[in-house]
Amino acid sequence: MSVIKNNIYKFLSSLSLTIFLLCFIAFGSIFGTVIKQKADVEEYLSIYSDTTYTIIKYLGFDDVYHSPWFIAAIVLFAINLTLCTYGRFARLIKTEGKVDLPDESELSDMSMVFHVGNNERENTIASIKKGYQTIYEGEEGVVLQKGVISRYGVYIIHGSILIILIGSLIGMLFGYKGFMTLRKGETKDQLILRGTPLKEVPLGFSLKCKDFQVSFYPGGEPKDYVSKVEVLDNGRVVMERDIRVNSPLSYKGINVYQASYGASPSFLFTIAGEHVTLSERETYEKDGLVMMIARSESAIHNFGPGVLVAYLDQGEPKAVWFLKDVERLKEQKIQGVNIKLEDIKEDFYTGLEIAKDPGVWVVWTGFALILFGLYANFFVYYRRIYMRNIPDGLIVAGIAFKNREGFKEEFEKLKRKVSGNGS
Amino acid sequence: MDHKILGVVTLLYLSIFFLHVLHFAVKKEKILSFMWILLYITLGLHATGLIARWVESYRLGIGHAPLSNFYESLIFYAWCIGFVLVILKKRLTFPIITMMASLIALGFMSYASISSSVERKIQPLIPALQSNWLHIHVITCFVAYAAFVISFICGLLYLIKWKNVVPPKEMLEEINYRSVMVGFPMLSAGILTGAVWAHYAWGSYWSWDPKETWSLITWIIYALFLHARFVRGWKGKRIAFISIIGFLSVIFTYFGVNFILSGLHSYAT
Repeated sequence: MSVIKNNIYKFLSSLSLTIFLLCFIAFGSIFGTVIKQKADVEEYLSIYSDTTYTIIKYLGFDDVYHSPWFIAAIVLFAINLTLCTYGRFARLIKTEGKVDLPDESELSDMSMVFHVGNNERENTIASIKKGYQTIYEGEEGVVLQKGVISRYGVYIIHGSILIILIGSLIGMLFGYKGFMTLRKGETKDQLILRGTPLKEVPLGFSLKCKDFQVSFYPGGEPKDYVSKVEVLDNGRVVMERDIRVNSPLSYKGINVYQASYGASPSFLFTIAGEHVTLSERETYEKDGLVMMIARSESAIHNFGPGVLVAYLDQGEPKAVWFLKDVERLKEQKIQGVNIKLEDIKEDFYTGLEIAKDPGVWVVWTGFALILFGLYANFFVYYRRIYMRNIPDGLIVAGIAFKNREGFKEEFEKLKRKVSGNGS
Repeated sequence: MDHKILGVVTLLYLSIFFLHVLHFAVKKEKILSFMWILLYITLGLHATGLIARWVESYRLGIGHAPLSNFYESLIFYAWCIGFVLVILKKRLTFPIITMMASLIALGFMSYASISSSVERKIQPLIPALQSNWLHIHVITCFVAYAAFVISFICGLLYLIKWKNVVPPKEMLEEINYRSVMVGFPMLSAGILTGAVWAHYAWGSYWSWDPKETWSLITWIIYALFLHARFVRGWKGKRIAFISIIGFLSVIFTYFGVNFILSGLHSYAT
């Protein structure tokens, strides 16, 4: 039993598995970039045959990064990384605790070594110690080291990758992504969650769009989109801010991003002497009159813009066109109520992306650590210097595990400095 | 103004290439030292060209660093290749590497100035690009890409036998490793800064956009390179092949994604 357990552990912590999984993840990701992701069935069928689509669907190639096999590979990778890193780290810690001073013959055999006479001993030790950390000091000599962090670089990098994965998991479990469109003056407290099907959920506070502006460069490219937004919590204005691309609003852990904008028409009516502004799909209800803007067209034949108003006539749905530029069809009676289409206006609305990701700070921590780990691993070099008392003076030897030429230069400099002390 | 300077720079890269050819023909060491001086001058002028473009963009009232579209990135990529050559100068004792690198830089410069599919006008920055993360993201990515050019050249040369011209195998492996050592942390920094930027611009630090995905694939390939080399002790042809595959992935991330796959980075074409 323990043999099997041991073998499983060996397999799960092996570098071969790491290499396999990384290749698998890389290769699997390619499918996600060449096959359109999360598109409609019709769209797939317009590109692929029925059989191909069935295979794509079956293998999850229409949503690679959320398919069971892809997630399984990442989970397995996380396990593999944890075990492999832990195993190597435990070994390092074990050897790190033991620092011994090799004996004279061993030191003499090292590639970088020199001797100093008895009278130079104290000076030598003092001058070499500068910039180095003493990790062993005894009767027989001293062991110094530098750049010890580089020995941990690999573990910091691996650990950070796990932290990033944990952070993204937190985001997936406790976060969401959605959107909201707001017309000028409109207030909403619901967002539409992304996913199929789209779902409306409460935001926990309200957003009111006080103003929305788009500016353009002289060439016509968009320069800036700004939504002036008020945050209302329990009916009280708690924040007022401009939301721009690259400058989201953040409130109670929820970020609101400027994502898009669009224009939608709004319709000015006079209904029984009262001014009413309605937008598409909006319903008006008063004194038994129920009407809704069903559709609008910018041009109906040659008669200019028009709007189709649907209403209920004794329970029967009916519809009538109002044409702005045609006197006779501009003003009509519905259920005895005088209704006049006064104007059609293009209103900008702002498209806000709304996201909550409580894991993002964990991910940032992982990012910072991984950069530090890469720096420690690639640009800091671990070096050790041994100094041992021998009958006629001191033997100094140095060892480096990486960037040996660099250390050789430093060691030669040390040697010159020491010999320049007076001998 | 910047076009004229960059035109001269292109010619200078061509001259650098011809100096190498001359060196192989007459075998005079002096030519090489002159080549290095010319490379420094070229890099300086190249930087001046980029700065002139930067200044020009302010004159047009749309001021931004010249790192924002395909043309500018090609020019900057070429500059980074020269820059990485200077960083690695001490190790580049065999001129074949500088020769191939200058040829590649020349290729990017001429592609940028000749191809009809590259928009050379200074364009205003769309809102998503108006971020300080732009600079650090582009700089780190392209220094990485340039370092991988050197790694690619070493991998390629490893497969070629050419006495006295191609450096000894161990030296090639060493330079290859050095360049990945510069490139890998830089690519990591490029991906991470891109992710932070994406978080502030689009609300998600990772959205499996084709460019993001391909940068991850590239990152994985070089991570495999390092593990194969240092944990497994792989050497020789196998490492050479990984550096070639890695660079193909870089090229696909840079060009292929723009031309073939659309996504959030499409404005870079």
